[in-house]
Amino acid sequence: MDLLTITKTAFHSLRTNLARSLLTILGIVIGVMAIVLVVALGQGAQGLILDQVKGVGANTIILRPGRQPTGPDSAAETILSDSIKQREIDALNNPINVPDIESVDPAVLVTGPVQYQENTYRPMILGWTADALVQMFQISPSEGTLFSDDDILQRSKVAIIGSKVREKLFGSSDALGEYIKIRGQNIRILGILPSRGQVSAFNIDDMVLLPHSTAQKDILGINYFNEIFIRAKDGADVDLVASDIKATLRDLHNITDPEKDDFFAMTQKDIVDRLSTITQALTIFLAMIASISLVVGGIGIMNIMLVSVTERTREIGLRKALGATNRDILRQFLLEAVILTVSGGATGTILGISLAFITSVVLKAQFNLAWPFQLPLSAIILGVGMAGVVGLGFGLYPARKAAQKDPIEALRYE
Amino acid sequence: MAPLIELRDIKKSYQGDGVNTLALGGVSFSINKGEFVSIMGPSGSGKSTLLHILGLLDKPSEGKYFFDGHDTTKFDEPFAAHFRNEQIGFIFQAFHLLARSTVMENVLLPLQYSSIPKNQHEKRALTVLEKVNMLHRLKHRPSQLSGGEKQRVAIARSLVNNPKVLMADEPTGNLDSQSGKNVMETLDALHEQGHTILVITHETPAARYAQRIIRVQDGVIVADQDSEGVHGHNGYEK
Repeated sequence: MDLLTITKTAFHSLRTNLARSLLTILGIVIGVMAIVLVVALGQGAQGLILDQVKGVGANTIILRPGRQPTGPDSAAETILSDSIKQREIDALNNPINVPDIESVDPAVLVTGPVQYQENTYRPMILGWTADALVQMFQISPSEGTLFSDDDILQRSKVAIIGSKVREKLFGSSDALGEYIKIRGQNIRILGILPSRGQVSAFNIDDMVLLPHSTAQKDILGINYFNEIFIRAKDGADVDLVASDIKATLRDLHNITDPEKDDFFAMTQKDIVDRLSTITQALTIFLAMIASISLVVGGIGIMNIMLVSVTERTREIGLRKALGATNRDILRQFLLEAVILTVSGGATGTILGISLAFITSVVLKAQFNLAWPFQLPLSAIILGVGMAGVVGLGFGLYPARKAAQKDPIEALRYE
Repeated sequence: MAPLIELRDIKKSYQGDGVNTLALGGVSFSINKGEFVSIMGPSGSGKSTLLHILGLLDKPSEGKYFFDGHDTTKFDEPFAAHFRNEQIGFIFQAFHLLARSTVMENVLLPLQYSSIPKNQHEKRALTVLEKVNMLHRLKHRPSQLSGGEKQRVAIARSLVNNPKVLMADEPTGNLDSQSGKNVMETLDALHEQGHTILVITHETPAARYAQRIIRVQDGVIVADQDSEGVHGHNGYEK
């Protein structure tokens, strides 16, 4: 019996019990849809994150105090570490140590609320340089001005705020020149940034930016920095610059064993690699959870195929009497199971892709995210492939039962 | 000329619940090409077991069965299936037509497992349906046919691979006497055309269409004789 005839026979049998066939594949449809959706959204999220990381520029190196975090516990160590102070900034700014550095912009993170009259809001408060803001995000105030290097030197109590911060604190009234309060310090609004949304780890709209010297000395009263943004010169080898930075700091801190570094430097490539690994792992994890439903669907297929084998016992006996071999019967029932699961897989794939597309459109519209929709080719192959494997796996037992039936007993079956 | 079917001391026993049941206790006979033979016997006599062995659906516990000179006891499962498909046509008491398939599809069924080229399938099916006068019911499903028509479709199905022998197991058992007579006359006509026919029955009128009647009782042959009278006067009363 050739494959075409077996396929036709299998389709004929499935059409005979159309409603049951459709209900049987529902489990597979949902399972594959879940896998495709998770993988497609995972790829979209990865694309979004990577686009944002790339937004900070390929020349950027981020230097942080403490050891490179390997989990939530070590992340706290990074925040509390005081290994990078003005001395380190000066050393990095020395071209003898690191020749290809364009700029070194230290940053200090301030936690706490911002107040204006009766209004309180908790934005991200960053002590930084205005130059870094312009260079990294190609942005300048839509109202007012940036603070200057002099403001940094003189620890001026001035700030630039994002559009959302302005809206939360000032509503429709004028904000420029007004004073906000951060940890008891009065800070004058010097400029307001235009709406830009999320770029890299920063939500520009939800930021208060002030001179790092002011944040460090006057607001927090500390002498270290939380993060340093270093830009390599155009055309410079970023990895080499990162290597020079590490060498300079090790020399300064008398570190001979890189394992004992009290800082870590990440290039954009490092960040992209790390984020890719995390999002991929998360996607695989979620896809594995989703694939449990495929197994449940497979059990449903097996159940229905066993019922079908029992119902069609006399047909099996007849086919054997008329010349079907055990192998013919096995192939017929196995193919029926595979046709069921693969058609379920194809339907699930189409539904999954459609849902992923709709989700990306909704996310774009509702949250102003540049969520990219990517046709998840791997998910399609995975979904339909897994459905086929489930069909083979869960169809084999009923098919073997059918093939092993004794034709005489089968013909007598009532 | 070598016989088409030759049984040599065939024994069949079944083991169940620790009890050994002897269904056939040494059966030997031959059937020549072109013969019309009835095997008769009461219920439990072993005639169905004999048909299963003759139809290669079962194997004897002892003895030899030669079909057209081939020792069938040496056949493995796939070879027996192919051999059955090409050499033996079955007709069952319960017709065993696929309920959801049309008359045409039912007749085409044995061809699915044969090596006959696909472009000949339809022509062959139409030819055998014409032989049994069922060309007017091609698209009908079994539920739309009378008992006699169902059995004629089953006969057409048994003929479609042009087998060397037709084996009918109580072909009139589910039919009224008129339909039974029609079916036996169809088989008789096929015999006239040169087909070898073997009918298992416990109905004397049906058996008497055969040239030869083999009587089985308690798993052994108790009589093997020519059918009485002349064709046309035996069988069902007109």
